[in-house]
Amino acid sequence: MQVWPLRFRDLDDHRTILADDSGAYFLAESGFVDRYARDALTPPDERFLREKGHAFDRSGDLAHTGFLTRWSRRQHVGGGSAYVILIPTLRCDLKCSYCQVSRAPVAAKGFDWSDETLERVLRVLDDMPVEEIQIEFQGGEPFLRLDLLQAVATFARRRFQRVRFVVCSNLQTLDEDILAFLESEDVLISTSLDGPHQVHSRNRTGDDALTDIFLRNLEQVIGLVGPERVSALPTIDMDDPPDPEDLIAAYEEFGFTSLYLRPVNYQGFARKSHPAARTSINWNNYYRGFVEALIAQNARTGQVMEEYYMAHCLRRILAPGMDSHTDLRNPNIPTSANAVIDFDGQIYPSDEARMLARIRRVDLTIGNVSDGLDQEKLALLAPGHINNFDPDCIHCPYQPFCGTDPIDDLSRSGRIDVPRQDSWFCQRHLAVFDLAMELIYSKDPAVEFTLSRWLGLESLPDALRPIAP
Amino acid sequence: MIPLRLKSECDRTLAPFVTRIAEGEPRCAEDATLWSEEAGALGYQTGQIKFRLWDVAPAEVAGDVLLVDPRRQIAHRLIRAASPHNTFLITEQCDQLCLMCSQPPKPQHQDMFDHFLAAARLAPPDAQIGLSGGEPLLHKNALFAFIDAVSAARDDLTFHILTNGQHFERRDLAWLRKHRARLLWGIPIYSDDPATHDEIVGKPGAFAQLSPNLALLGLAGAALELRTVVLQQNASGLPGLADFITRHIPFAATWAIMQMERIGYGRMNWGRCFYDSSLDFASLGAAIDLMRARRQDVALYNFPLCTVPPAYRDFAVRSISDWKQKYLSACASCSLRDDCAGFFEWYREEDGFMEIWPQ
Repeated sequence: MQVWPLRFRDLDDHRTILADDSGAYFLAESGFVDRYARDALTPPDERFLREKGHAFDRSGDLAHTGFLTRWSRRQHVGGGSAYVILIPTLRCDLKCSYCQVSRAPVAAKGFDWSDETLERVLRVLDDMPVEEIQIEFQGGEPFLRLDLLQAVATFARRRFQRVRFVVCSNLQTLDEDILAFLESEDVLISTSLDGPHQVHSRNRTGDDALTDIFLRNLEQVIGLVGPERVSALPTIDMDDPPDPEDLIAAYEEFGFTSLYLRPVNYQGFARKSHPAARTSINWNNYYRGFVEALIAQNARTGQVMEEYYMAHCLRRILAPGMDSHTDLRNPNIPTSANAVIDFDGQIYPSDEARMLARIRRVDLTIGNVSDGLDQEKLALLAPGHINNFDPDCIHCPYQPFCGTDPIDDLSRSGRIDVPRQDSWFCQRHLAVFDLAMELIYSKDPAVEFTLSRWLGLESLPDALRPIAP
Repeated sequence: MIPLRLKSECDRTLAPFVTRIAEGEPRCAEDATLWSEEAGALGYQTGQIKFRLWDVAPAEVAGDVLLVDPRRQIAHRLIRAASPHNTFLITEQCDQLCLMCSQPPKPQHQDMFDHFLAAARLAPPDAQIGLSGGEPLLHKNALFAFIDAVSAARDDLTFHILTNGQHFERRDLAWLRKHRARLLWGIPIYSDDPATHDEIVGKPGAFAQLSPNLALLGLAGAALELRTVVLQQNASGLPGLADFITRHIPFAATWAIMQMERIGYGRMNWGRCFYDSSLDFASLGAAIDLMRARRQDVALYNFPLCTVPPAYRDFAVRSISDWKQKYLSACASCSLRDDCAGFFEWYREEDGFMEIWPQ
């Protein structure tokens, strides 16, 4: 019998999480790790490893073939569908303290697509080798250029078999034309709701009256298209984070059943005005406290609110192929089908890369709409977007569920080869996956209730909690 | 019940032949056209041959592909044009003796491949045809040659092959790969415990043989439908089997958990095998939840909807072939009837599900 290599990490002082390269995990509470390391596995140990698919006898036998299948499905191959972010304008009518992209004032000139840029963007879309696409409009405030959104939408609906639009808007200004645009079934809205009134004012509008307008607009949009087509996320300022209960209540008020807690990105304006965003420990503590508060509240009310990122990470642990979130998958090789086109026609591998370029930290363009993609640069970036061979990741049981973020590494450290454990991305995800594992193995009925609902199950099967002998 | 055999009449000295009842003008030499219609009997002609069919209306058989057996004065409806449930019975021989077998094996074999090939050529466009037994792969060389021949003539056809998975060999790999897009393999697995599986299929060593053969199908990229009839013998083991499938057979396209069919050995062993899932669905629910969590497809075949807790009803498929499906008198007032698999023709209320309630 051969055992596939196991990685391990202590969850606390008496429990260790182990996992193989396919993402099959288990918990060891006794001397298992010791026996594994000293090559002194007992017959019950071996039986356990065999049953759970961590071992095989011969290449091509059922255990071996099953493992290969599970391993291969853990790799994000892509193809089939595209997810592009378009920035028709960098201008915005708000000036949020944590703005990541250093937005331009509303009256500024030269921060919108020209007619020529629009033409070329459409050509780039046309050339994508896919029939399914999601187009996200970012900014700036995209609705300042509704005409450009309409032009893209008209083209894309004709060009692609399946298409969806997400408009990331501050919903500060609505008019009849915008509401008409929103009425199409294929348009989704993503907005920011930072919590209770005063928090939202402090972080985003700087003005109670503007916050009132936003809240009224949000209500109107939800009333028009229903809560299913509207998502909101709170950006958390770690200098003064909202109380979890207040934040949850602010979301419940609008009928949201999911929220996505987002840390202030260490990009753009935030680098200067939010130095606390640089370290992860406060964020990780807040995040854990928030998820625990959410679980307690779900159990108390019987209603189920989801924290999207935790739910997504749980789904990634339990099953392969959960690659819909473009910031957490592996490999995550930059391609044209997963790119950002800026207001000036420059193409970036991710929104964060755009932000970093904006402060002239490093030129992370991978091409532009006139000349196409720079293949040499893409090739240079590719290895940084694979975690399978990273000298730290290969020892981590969470590697199969995790991803990479070399752009964030660049932003914080000026290089991509920092030891993983020193990087914000790694620290944040170790904390998320540690918490996810604790939740999976928890026998607390409140935790089981929330997890089973997040996962769409009637109850959590015991098989999801394997424990070594 | 929809009849699969029709009373027929033709020259008894003729050899059996395959013909298609033409819809409108005949499209090939094998097509038969209606030339007479009298009380209870339809007269057809194909080439120089004339034959009659009894007790059937022209519209019911339009497009059907028939195998006319002059000696026995019977027409087998090999392919019913209006039905998605068409199956060629490859052989009645089998090397397993499953407790719940609905079609107990017989020792003799009659080779029908020539007729099946002729029939497949006449099948409606894009049809899926079932190949069943007995154990079809006991005649593997002939079966593979038949599939090769059909593929050459009709690359739009696909086959759903029910096999016990005992007869694959390493050297079949290339062939399996070549036809992977065309073939769906339905293979039973009753337990991840070899002794329980072997007991249910009545063949010692069956699991040990099945295991590497499933791996072979995985390596071939074959489309695999695992099939598990729930029985008193294996019901409590379903969550364990689900764990085994997700870990060791993750390449299976789907897993069908099936209710028993009360015919053949199934009738003989009903009392000691039938598991009343309307009384206790817990082990099935746990198995389905695990498949859901790990995102591998699962379905319930042959489960009336009212026997399934509402949270799992989306998994219940209308799986019972049209010709052997029925509803009960209680079903008349049920609002779910149109989505419900219903019951096998040979289901009996007195020893069936205890909890049947119109919804």
